[in-house]
Amino acid sequence: MSDEKNEKLTDHDYDGIQELDNSLPQWWLGLLYLTLLFGAGYYCYYELGSGPSIQDEFASEVAAMESKKTAAPPSLFPEMPKLVAYQTSAEKLAVGKTVFQNRCVSCHGDKGQGLIGPNLTDDYWIHGDGKIGAIAKVVHDGVLDKGMPPWVTLLTDEELYSVTAYVKSLRGTNPAGAKASQGNLVKE
Amino acid sequence: MSIQSQQLDTFTYDDAVVRKFIIATLIWGIIAMAAGVFIAFELASWRLNMGLPWITFGRLRPLHTNAAIFAFAGNAIFAGIYHSTQRLLKTRLYSDFLSNFHFWGWQLIIVAAAITLPLGYTVSKEYAELEWPIKIAITVIWVAFAVNFFGTLSRRREQHIYVAIWFYIATIVTVAVLHIVNSINIPVTFLKSYPVYAGVQDALVQWWYGHNAVAFFLTTPFLGLMYYYVPKAANRPVYSYRLSIVHFWSLVFIYIWAGPHHLLYTALPEWAQTLGVVFSIMLWAPSWGGMINGLLTLRGAWDRVRTEPILKFFVGALTFYGMATFEGPLLSIKSVNAIGHYTDWIIGHVHGGTLGWNGFLTAGMLYYLVPRMWNTKLYSEKLANTHFWTGFLGILAYVVSMDVSGITQGLMWRAVDSSGKLVYPDFIETVIRIVPLYWIRAVGGTLYLVGFIMMAYNVYKTIELAPKMLVSEKQTAPALVTDIPKLFDERPHRILEGLPAVFSVLTLIAILVGSVIEIIPTLMAHTFVPMNAKVRPYTALELAGRDIYVRESCYVCHSQQIRPMTSELLRYGKPSTPEESMYDHPFQWGSKRIGPDLARIGGKYPDLWHYRHMADPREVTPKSIMPAYPWLFQDKTDFAVLSKKLSVMRTLGVPYSDKDVERAESGAGRKGNHGPHRLHSTPRAHGRRGCKMNAQALCHFPMTWLTCIAMLIFLSVFVTMFIRVFMKANSELYKRMERLPLAEEEDRHER
Repeated sequence: MSDEKNEKLTDHDYDGIQELDNSLPQWWLGLLYLTLLFGAGYYCYYELGSGPSIQDEFASEVAAMESKKTAAPPSLFPEMPKLVAYQTSAEKLAVGKTVFQNRCVSCHGDKGQGLIGPNLTDDYWIHGDGKIGAIAKVVHDGVLDKGMPPWVTLLTDEELYSVTAYVKSLRGTNPAGAKASQGNLVKE
Repeated sequence: MSIQSQQLDTFTYDDAVVRKFIIATLIWGIIAMAAGVFIAFELASWRLNMGLPWITFGRLRPLHTNAAIFAFAGNAIFAGIYHSTQRLLKTRLYSDFLSNFHFWGWQLIIVAAAITLPLGYTVSKEYAELEWPIKIAITVIWVAFAVNFFGTLSRRREQHIYVAIWFYIATIVTVAVLHIVNSINIPVTFLKSYPVYAGVQDALVQWWYGHNAVAFFLTTPFLGLMYYYVPKAANRPVYSYRLSIVHFWSLVFIYIWAGPHHLLYTALPEWAQTLGVVFSIMLWAPSWGGMINGLLTLRGAWDRVRTEPILKFFVGALTFYGMATFEGPLLSIKSVNAIGHYTDWIIGHVHGGTLGWNGFLTAGMLYYLVPRMWNTKLYSEKLANTHFWTGFLGILAYVVSMDVSGITQGLMWRAVDSSGKLVYPDFIETVIRIVPLYWIRAVGGTLYLVGFIMMAYNVYKTIELAPKMLVSEKQTAPALVTDIPKLFDERPHRILEGLPAVFSVLTLIAILVGSVIEIIPTLMAHTFVPMNAKVRPYTALELAGRDIYVRESCYVCHSQQIRPMTSELLRYGKPSTPEESMYDHPFQWGSKRIGPDLARIGGKYPDLWHYRHMADPREVTPKSIMPAYPWLFQDKTDFAVLSKKLSVMRTLGVPYSDKDVERAESGAGRKGNHGPHRLHSTPRAHGRRGCKMNAQALCHFPMTWLTCIAMLIFLSVFVTMFIRVFMKANSELYKRMERLPLAEEEDRHER
């Protein structure tokens, strides 16, 4: 800091408080001018000049995301042979059960007996024929009108297959406190 | 200061009111911080909400913020302003009656706030939550304060006003403007009102207010206090008078513009957002001007910082001020804001400022004031030092945990993998990750509170030591005789300092420029908000529900504003538009996402999902930290008032037909009664329902009436008192003004 001995006092005295007449610190003044300049430049670029608006930036972000998506190989879901194989694999069914316990019980009940969502254990189906392909489709795409989320955004393919197989296995289990049947009777 | 042959006046200072404000600062400080600590633990463990409406996070968080800002900081400001102003102007406060009226009125307002906020009476605009009768009371008290302050100025025995007084003037003038403009509400009932602004306009006016509450309630008055107490305590001259001038005017002029940085990436028109960014960055140097002037004033006193707790607190306060005012511009840069907004980073930033700057400056000031005001010595210097280190540790734990939490969560929300999927699609995953940090924060807050209680105890013991009779010492000073030619001989700013009335008007103009340029165009709504026929007003039943959303302060944890970013598009849906909230009096955009955004939650889940979620959030979202809302299942909703509500909304421009207003009650009642039956008859999960609903055995209905009666009595006493005082004060003021040399001098100046 500057040499204190050379500092000049003003003649101000307020209740014993004195004030020095030091000039503004150079670096501080520099900072002030720099930010003022930056501010002016920023405003001119974005509001008067060619700077992209937030909406422009958003549009290009979305476009970039979309282009990436189309580059990915199209999903083959559901592959029927795989689904069928999972139905008999104890290991896959266990995975499916875990997924079900984590994701599905809050709406379908811990035994699939139905709660917010429909009963999954009876012979009545609202969407489709209750066959494994139809179940897979509902799990994958959801039913937006009814509040069933599309699980494709949240689960891996492996989990989707497993949980579909597990749901299929619940049919006819007759749990206690089952919700009244909804939809159409579908005989197997 | 001219030391001529005039007679010496003899007078005393009014220290009694200063002592009262000091005690109030300590009491409300403990209450405000204890509330903060409690809600911090509520976030760490939802069980602490206990199913009781009055202590849920949503209702207590506004109580904490209001108490910390207006009760704790407010009383500290008043103590310091009243103490230092008298000494800087060499005169007694203008009116003992107004001083006491100010003191008791302010405490009553705080009590009214402490009763109404937990009961759910809220406008739901941050730091302006209080309902309209209390807002009117605040206006009355603020006017009393202003009359008292400017009256004191008019009786001063110093020609020039010191930089501390400049900052006090800026505070009083600007807070009045902010409070009045943001409080224009139309009452529906005694404790319910709707703001005249809606959606985008309401958001802009609110954050112009909210941001400048920080600027002109937590910054300018404290800078003023700093300019008095730091040189006094250090016994050193202020580093630079010129820096004071430049940073005062630049701060006051620039600060007022920066409000829109709270609304970046929202539906606010982009030019206003850009202004918010630009002025926030330009605010960096003016803010640091105050820090530099304070720290450099301490040159030559640094050896004493090691031993004297007062100076320690001042150094701490100035340093935290510098950090917060660097972080502020940083967070206003769009790309940083994109990560930090809605997260705990903002909470960390704010508490660095409030605990560090406001809290520590207040502590230093109180350690300076208490022995002087009670004419004794501080009970324990050692305890004051322990207070400093405990508080310091508390702030560090608080700020570091919140910054880490905020950045972690901000990055998790944004993470999108190469296939265009969210990496953390479940919001709850991002919450579980930061819960440990909520514990650390709560512990940090507790440490700070413990430190503060040490100070309260120290003050208590000091007062015990004090002599029983406190006599104000006689002061003498020459009467002020304004020598106009001599005054106009000085440097330009020095002339201004001799003319406080002109100074005040210039300050008002400085803060009005930015306000007018940002607010007026936005208020001309139709130029920005396309009158979109697709947006229909809320039905009566929806409006009743929305008012419950407001009552429970859902906005403190949930935003209703989706930003234009891919991660938000994937998580919440398309970005929010201005017209979507065009009928929202008040707007509910929110500023924090402790839970997810709710703008497009409607229709996403079945009604039963929400019904169960309100009863126990963890039944549908395991590990959720949201409190349960059992009272919502028993409270009756007042449908009778709905016609009134709709008609008020209609005066505010919401297109309801006569039929809508007429049928509001019956229509809502029919639909509303139908809903619950349908939901009740549906089976519950795990058979757990029923036993959980007993939590609110206490009914808050009678309490409501008690509050109303108390408020009525309070208000009527208030109004009569105000009318009497104001008329008397006014006539006296005018009489005195005529005799004042100041008036002549202004006349001459105009000519």
